[in-house]
Amino acid sequence: MIMGKEKILPIIAMTVLLIGIFSTIYVHANQIEKNSIKINGQEFTLDQLFSIGVMRVIETDEGEKTGVALDDLITMVGVGCTQCQEYTIKAKDGYQQTVNWEILQTGILTDYGRVYFPDAAHTFWVRNVIEIEVK
Amino acid sequence: MNNVKLLAGILVFGSLWGFSECIIGSSLHETGLPTGAIMTGFFAITFLVISRMTYHQPGMQLGMGVVAGALRLFNPFVGCHLCSALAIMAEGAIFEVFWYKISFDFRELKTLTMQISMGILSAYFVYIGGYIVTQILTPIISGSGFFVENLTAVMPNILSSGLLPALIGAVVLPAVLLTKKIDLRLKDHLYYPTTIGVSAFCWLFVVGNWLLLT
Repeated sequence: MIMGKEKILPIIAMTVLLIGIFSTIYVHANQIEKNSIKINGQEFTLDQLFSIGVMRVIETDEGEKTGVALDDLITMVGVGCTQCQEYTIKAKDGYQQTVNWEILQTGILTDYGRVYFPDAAHTFWVRNVIEIEVK
Repeated sequence: MNNVKLLAGILVFGSLWGFSECIIGSSLHETGLPTGAIMTGFFAITFLVISRMTYHQPGMQLGMGVVAGALRLFNPFVGCHLCSALAIMAEGAIFEVFWYKISFDFRELKTLTMQISMGILSAYFVYIGGYIVTQILTPIISGSGFFVENLTAVMPNILSSGLLPALIGAVVLPAVLLTKKIDLRLKDHLYYPTTIGVSAFCWLFVVGNWLLLT
């Protein structure tokens, strides 16, 4: 039994390292490099969003954060019945999180492309946002 | 070993783990270092392996995760970190399951190859397991609901993020096992004052930090 473990564990460990290495390569190779953010199918640059959106300051457990109000952006891009939708926020490295309107309306998008929500877990604080999909 | 002694052990090791997550983890986070990988690969693996090596009791690491997660969850210094708390609790549980087949005297881990392999596997699976659990439970608890497509999309990131903790674990576990020859047992009359004192210090330090800074 012990001999079995001595043979199998190093092989599994090597496999795990290879999975980690190939996943890292995959994530970097599939990063989407773009300077715009798609919201409900429409492309905007961060500058555009900051010129048309309403600025909001929120207090988070990592201090004060300033950015453009997400609820305002969603309304401006013409989403009807905002409460009926779910909003999937996608990052350039493939990370994504879905929030409902109740959470989204408290959030902001910063000038470095990160969303913050004052009362939601950090899991939802997506970095390097490239899209907010409305579904 | 009696149950009270074991509970005191769970409390002290869980508190030390939670303390390092709250205080050292928060400081590391500010420096921009990969906090999660260091906290799991170094601190979690160290406390989990030392406690297993010292107490030889099944279920202890699960209890430590609950204590450490609770300290993280109720840590007033940096607010409520639901994801971190859930991840820590899950890490304790995953470690417990992963080490189920390893004997308490670690006789399977005599060779360096086995120690490095176990370090890689423990740190990797503990880390990605905690990550997956938070990706599932945090949206559910937060009320926004869990979406399978989000987890699927994030899986390459999760599998990739386990690489650094695995490499740290490969070094840390053999290093921790070197301390096996050191007798960490305390005399009975010192055991309870020490364990309760250290636990109280961890909890009071975390709360005190908040009181001083507000």
